[in-house]
Amino acid sequence: MEYIDNIPIYLQIKDILYRKIISNEYELGSQLPSVRQLAVQFSANSNTVQKALKEMTEENVIIPQRGKGNYVTEDVSIVSKLKDHIVTEMFDTTYDKLHSLNMNDKEITTSFNNYVKQREQDHE
Amino acid sequence: MSRVLEINHLKYKKNNKLILDDINLELDHGKIVGLLGANGVGKTTLMRLIAGVNAKTAGKIKVSGIESKAAIKSCVSMTYSIESLKDNQIGKNNRIKVKDIVKFYLDIYPDFSLEKYQEIAKYLDIDSDEKLMDLSTGSGEKLVIALTLSRQVALYLLDEPLNGIDIMTRKKIIKSIIQWKSDESTIIISSHYVTEIASLLDDVIILKDHKVYEVSSVEDIQNKSHLGIEAYYEQVYEGGTNDE
Repeated sequence: MEYIDNIPIYLQIKDILYRKIISNEYELGSQLPSVRQLAVQFSANSNTVQKALKEMTEENVIIPQRGKGNYVTEDVSIVSKLKDHIVTEMFDTTYDKLHSLNMNDKEITTSFNNYVKQREQDHE
Repeated sequence: MSRVLEINHLKYKKNNKLILDDINLELDHGKIVGLLGANGVGKTTLMRLIAGVNAKTAGKIKVSGIESKAAIKSCVSMTYSIESLKDNQIGKNNRIKVKDIVKFYLDIYPDFSLEKYQEIAKYLDIDSDEKLMDLSTGSGEKLVIALTLSRQVALYLLDEPLNGIDIMTRKKIIKSIIQWKSDESTIIISSHYVTEIASLLDDVIILKDHKVYEVSSVEDIQNKSHLGIEAYYEQVYEGGTNDE
């Protein structure tokens, strides 16, 4: 597991888990691995994993069930909001960078559309 | 519940040379703590003092509220180098095998769990029929970790458990520490692979100039300094050149 060394690990673990939920690797309503299993998987301290899970619980993305571990919410709208949030975050960075190259919105849109077309062709 | 480790005004001199001075530390149960500091600053010495192997010059060391040196030995499990195992009475026999060392641990430590050892040994691919003298550095380190973690105690002291071994084995050892650490126990680990162990740590203790320079959570360091642990630790040493 490679971490960015100056950002708290629990935030990075939370981010990875959120991406797994959004990409449906962890399906709606499914049970998450135990804290210990996640800790080993992420090569991280159990307390750190606990902290990530606690915030995910507070954000209603996972629901702890007494003695049974943590379950992904069944509420589609929560996951969809999460997805919007992460996508916006990704676009924020890219948009700001493109703007700093002195590109206007129209150029950015055209450039992005071309990029997507190019990727589609590469894929074929 | 008492703290797992309390150190007050600890002082240690060797041949009249000051090694550690006025060390004060308090650690809670259930933590993994990194012990950082330059070579020769006294990390190993501090661990040996806590384990009751070296005798302190002054001050107090309490493990799980216990102060007697003999009693502390039953609450602390420290990594001893594979060389020290080889130098041990039993290890001097050239034909001695890994399984004989395991039996030796089982005999001398009532808290040694054979079941736990076998699980860890299986995970780390330790061959119990291999001769001690034939072990590579990596295999030796794996054996030392497995033996140390198989004792069921409140405090584990892992002194440079990743030295001289390849990256794949380092990662496996880190995972084995996470897998087999009981929730209540606390681990103090020293390593030069600071970035590699950063995700393992709750807190770090930085030793500098014979003293505890700082005790802080990894998260606080990241939040306050916007640096990784390794960069922060380097800064502490570089920034302090004036008083050396």
